[in-house]
Amino acid sequence: MTPLFSIKSGGPASWTIRVACALVLAYVLLWIPTSGSNSLIDTATTALTLMGAALALNLLHGFTGQISLGHSAFFGIGTYTTAVFVTRWGWSPLTTLPVAFAVAFVVGAAVSLPALRIKGVYLALVTLALAVVFPQFIKWPKIAWLTGGARGLTDTGFKFDKDNRTFELFGWNPWGNLRGENVKPFYYWIAVMIVVIVYLICRGLVKSRVGRSLIAIRDNSTAAAVMGVNLPVTKGLVFGLSAAMCALPGCLTAMKGTVTPDTALLTAIGSITFLIVMVVGGAGTLWGPIIGAIVFQFITEKTGDWADPKEIPSALRPIFSWSDVAPAGGIFALALIVLMFTAPHGLAGLWKRVTVRFVSVVPKPAGSSTVDERNVNDKP
Amino acid sequence: MELFLQRLVDGFSEGSVYALIALGLVIIYRGTGHLNFAQGEMALFSTYVVYQFGEWGIPIGIAVIMGMGVGFALGAVTEVAIVRPVSKKSPFAVFIVTIGLFQLLNWLDGAIWGGQQLPNTGVGSKQVRFPSLFPSKPTDFVTIFGANIKIQSLGVIALVAVLTVVLFTVFNHTRLGLAMRAVAANGESAKLVGIRTGRVLMASWGLAAAIGALGGVVFAGINTNVNLGLMFTVFIYASAAATLGGFDSPGGAVIGGFSIGLIQNMAAGYAPKWVGQEMKVGVAFLVMLGVLLFRPSGLFGSSRVERV
Repeated sequence: MTPLFSIKSGGPASWTIRVACALVLAYVLLWIPTSGSNSLIDTATTALTLMGAALALNLLHGFTGQISLGHSAFFGIGTYTTAVFVTRWGWSPLTTLPVAFAVAFVVGAAVSLPALRIKGVYLALVTLALAVVFPQFIKWPKIAWLTGGARGLTDTGFKFDKDNRTFELFGWNPWGNLRGENVKPFYYWIAVMIVVIVYLICRGLVKSRVGRSLIAIRDNSTAAAVMGVNLPVTKGLVFGLSAAMCALPGCLTAMKGTVTPDTALLTAIGSITFLIVMVVGGAGTLWGPIIGAIVFQFITEKTGDWADPKEIPSALRPIFSWSDVAPAGGIFALALIVLMFTAPHGLAGLWKRVTVRFVSVVPKPAGSSTVDERNVNDKP
Repeated sequence: MELFLQRLVDGFSEGSVYALIALGLVIIYRGTGHLNFAQGEMALFSTYVVYQFGEWGIPIGIAVIMGMGVGFALGAVTEVAIVRPVSKKSPFAVFIVTIGLFQLLNWLDGAIWGGQQLPNTGVGSKQVRFPSLFPSKPTDFVTIFGANIKIQSLGVIALVAVLTVVLFTVFNHTRLGLAMRAVAANGESAKLVGIRTGRVLMASWGLAAAIGALGGVVFAGINTNVNLGLMFTVFIYASAAATLGGFDSPGGAVIGGFSIGLIQNMAAGYAPKWVGQEMKVGVAFLVMLGVLLFRPSGLFGSSRVERV
């Protein structure tokens, strides 16, 4: 079926659409902290946190075809790096971001060393075990002097001045006086910054020679090796980079003030959450995790108190009222299964499938290979 | 000596639960090459069902057999309705689907039975504690070399030993077992000689889930209650056990399960400062990592030649 329109990539029409999208995006990003309610800012900040982690996971999973269930541990490494540096050595939270990046990169690359020998589902097993071990490791009495053990750490975030609560960024104070609710937009902007950094790294990689070699590894690692891709080095670096990027949104969690090892996102539940966000949005697409995080957070919050039947909108009450807990977990679990049958590239893939009937972009932009039947080619 | 003996038996009785879940993992892996991440949660669902049977006044001996039946049905239906169609798409899809099942079953348990641990007189449970298959009153122990060994522990170990023998008989001396081994060795050829591979795979998943159900009930009995997080770490230990034993060796899974139970209990007991209760799971992780690095096929697994 030939599409109705054909747009030349890099031509005027393509640029008009791009500029329009960028403007809408910028407007929404600015609207949320300036005109949105406090709860909306909180929601957006959480969604952005998930976005960052899912984008990081997507580079590894969606583009390189390596399975990881251990990203909650890398997220947690970010959280605890910030928390420890701020509380023990009095660093400013923002300056801990590069440190967390570096620490998680080293740990991620170290984990990937066995990953080079372990393939497919075994890697999933090892990383899942890593995710389960991480909170236990934090609680370990031997290192409790550093991590605060099971009780966690407090005052891990920004120290706003007690009286006028100003915050200076290199001698510049763009935020005005931060007090009470006024702190929320501040966290929001840090989250935006982190997501932008992570997105740009992913995009830069995927659209480059490196990205093409990653996709080659995913689709057929033997062929990739034959074409001159250095498998061990590439896989190791990508694993490290993905871990490092996943640590950044983790840092934000610590910046809000307190950390405990039992925070859901730091346990294996976090890994599964990131995976859900990525798959629902669309693994192997740049925009997938972004869409996924928004949808995930929106539905989770909307249905958050549906354990109580009175809170459910009357039209949906017969469907959900029997459940003793909020339905979000079940909805997304079902979505995961159904999507694998109907749309393996998630919502972003569905969107592409629909738009391609009307508009085609020629030539295809780099990094948008749509291999529908994707294989984790390394059989275990 | 008493302490050693006690830890030995405790390790073995915990290990027998890991052995049961690991057996399920191995049976499915042999048949289809898939790693069932929902194995633990399937067992947990059946365990909740057994709790429900107990609430209705069915004695535990009958309830556990019925629970295994429910587990078998759950496993078989999962294979036929979900896993088989999706495995035609890609192994990646199967992985995501088993994660989805993991989440779905755990949510379903919470949705039906609530989030709190059961039995719980606060929410109207008639039972005081999760029924144990074996006498488990504080007075039910035997003294061997001065160590007080719980009858429950001995019973659990004996149960797993008997089950292992039964399974080996089934695998090696029945037509179903023969068919399962044929499918495991070469699915295509098995189909060509007239084995109904579909039914065999369905039976494998069902069998795995039924064995898992038994494991869940045993573990809930030791634990005296069932809760949503019950099988979470058990699954990690079980996968470490399957890795240690070799993912395609049922005997290896049983030995691996006992070994993991033993190793982590000894480590936690003799190095309380270094390992203790916190890092028990860390020990299992290290074992898993070590095996995969130095002997990826496990102790008893067959190393396969990969064709590129």
